[in-house]
Amino acid sequence: MSRRLAAAAAAVVAGALAAPAPALAHGLVGRADLPIPEWLFGWAAAVVLVVSFAGLAVLWQTPRLEEEDWHPLPEGISFAIVNTATEVFAGVVGVGILVLTIWSGLAGSQSPTANFAPTFIYVVFWVGLVPASLLLGDVFRAFNPWRAIARGTGWAAARVVGPLPTPFRYPAWLGRWPAVVGLFGFAWMELSYTNGSDPSTLAVATLVYSAVTLIAIACFGTEAWIGRGETFSVYYNLFSRVSAIEVRDGRLGVRRLLSALPRLEPLPGTVALLIVMIGTVAFDGASEGKPWVDVAPDIQDFFTSLGFSLSTALEIAFTLGMLIAIGLVAAIYLLGIAGVRTLDRRPLVTVARSYMHTLVPIAAAYVLAHYFSLLVYNGQAIAYLASDPLGDGSDLFGTAGRAIDYGVINASGIWYVQVGVLVAGHVCGLILAHDRALAMYEKARAATTSQYWMLAVMVAFTTGGLFLLSQANQ
Amino acid sequence: MALGAIAVVVVLFVVLAGGDDNGGSDNTTSTQSQAAGSTGTAGASGATGATGKSESKPQVPTIEVVDGKPQGGIQRLTYTKGDPVKFAVKSDVADEIHVHGYDLKKDVPAGGTVRFSFPASIEGVFEVELEGRAQQIAELRVTPG
Repeated sequence: MSRRLAAAAAAVVAGALAAPAPALAHGLVGRADLPIPEWLFGWAAAVVLVVSFAGLAVLWQTPRLEEEDWHPLPEGISFAIVNTATEVFAGVVGVGILVLTIWSGLAGSQSPTANFAPTFIYVVFWVGLVPASLLLGDVFRAFNPWRAIARGTGWAAARVVGPLPTPFRYPAWLGRWPAVVGLFGFAWMELSYTNGSDPSTLAVATLVYSAVTLIAIACFGTEAWIGRGETFSVYYNLFSRVSAIEVRDGRLGVRRLLSALPRLEPLPGTVALLIVMIGTVAFDGASEGKPWVDVAPDIQDFFTSLGFSLSTALEIAFTLGMLIAIGLVAAIYLLGIAGVRTLDRRPLVTVARSYMHTLVPIAAAYVLAHYFSLLVYNGQAIAYLASDPLGDGSDLFGTAGRAIDYGVINASGIWYVQVGVLVAGHVCGLILAHDRALAMYEKARAATTSQYWMLAVMVAFTTGGLFLLSQANQ
Repeated sequence: MALGAIAVVVVLFVVLAGGDDNGGSDNTTSTQSQAAGSTGTAGASGATGATGKSESKPQVPTIEVVDGKPQGGIQRLTYTKGDPVKFAVKSDVADEIHVHGYDLKKDVPAGGTVRFSFPASIEGVFEVELEGRAQQIAELRVTPG
């Protein structure tokens, strides 16, 4: 989050003075995680290796996750949860929160911690919806305000002038690329933009994004754009594929955990999307570590010497950092894919898409490990911010006087969760890669080779994640 | 899936066993870091504390703020949970000193000094800042005991 930027800028202003402590987060958060201790890093890395090789030896020999196994829950249960009334209700709630976010960002206090918008966008929405999707399925689809507006408009128009036409066909080559651009933009605002936590900036960004989304929906149709182009729908849908719950054609049903991932459509841009997802979170973690804290001021100095202002130079430095992290993640994945291709001779893009779904649990693990404490601590802030969204002293629900309780979990508890989710993500990634290899190769040897390479990819991401946790805020 | 479950159990076992095994060494490490922390703190703070007299009163690290910036960069204050946290801020500008997480706020007049004294009850890394200038001056670090 751009909280770090202000402090980093200050460190540079202080000039050649030695800064014994790395600049700490600023803006939304005045707290950071302690680095995981060495002994825990060692144990976790050992567990990752043991689990990986044990897994190779004992995992099943025929594909288990590839075939469709969704089945509907009984009509009554399904209807109690998914019906027209609940759909309309969820849509209204989604639109209501969208309006509240924009309004409080524009009209409220411009202190990031006193305004509803920054905490809602960066903590509740951006982080909170990840575990919600992993556990409960595609909940964002139900609350998606832009989908709700589009459906409401479509319904009203159909009653007055007849069904609205869809002027353009969504081009096949576009795939999930609009979501890649959107995700990079969001991450840039969060991690690299100096004013990324300013309530009014967030409100304007939300307005612009809403306008773009509604125009695109008008051009390509609701389902086409929501399914492929709309950043957040695509993002949360990826995580929801881990869940055992799926609503299909208005019917609530259940499926095997992870089983929706092998059916992730191999659309253009999906591999890039997953790489950007992992790379940006990895950069947020790395930017708390000593190597980056040491080198960032030098990069900033270089750009100030070219005539950029201090804050622009810092934004450039952080943007470069993000791009480098994304590049490293891409290199690790594509190196693994190149290895798989020693026996699987299909084109690079095809093979890369064959294994991309195995990155979803890794991406989820990175998000949860990195943002868990943000969610459990700063997530509490929404209780008092909802009561006083503008920060003007109102108390709508009588909760405005509350504060964040840091006693809900201690540092060791956070460490165990961080390490636990990374290891769990690793195991899920391995399971998916194993299953895909069995389904794809008739020869056992090809399957084994592909698995060694994918194993190396998973071990690299997981130990990399552990390393970032051990280096953070040293 | 049964095998998956076994794998998860194995992971849990090893992780938990790891925690137990290292309970002892963990404590040792903490004690060391505590000692290292307190010396480091006193040294780093451009100390104005100790007056040379061998009184039992411990040296209180002081963060000096000059022109609204911490002298010598952002200072690190390290404690183990349960320790008494004591530090002072001497500032040449008037502002409010905010210890995040613990949410303690004290005003300091230009040229004045304020003292903080509270138990290290919350683990983590917390920002100490000049609230009005949004300028971090120290990092309060509380490690598990």
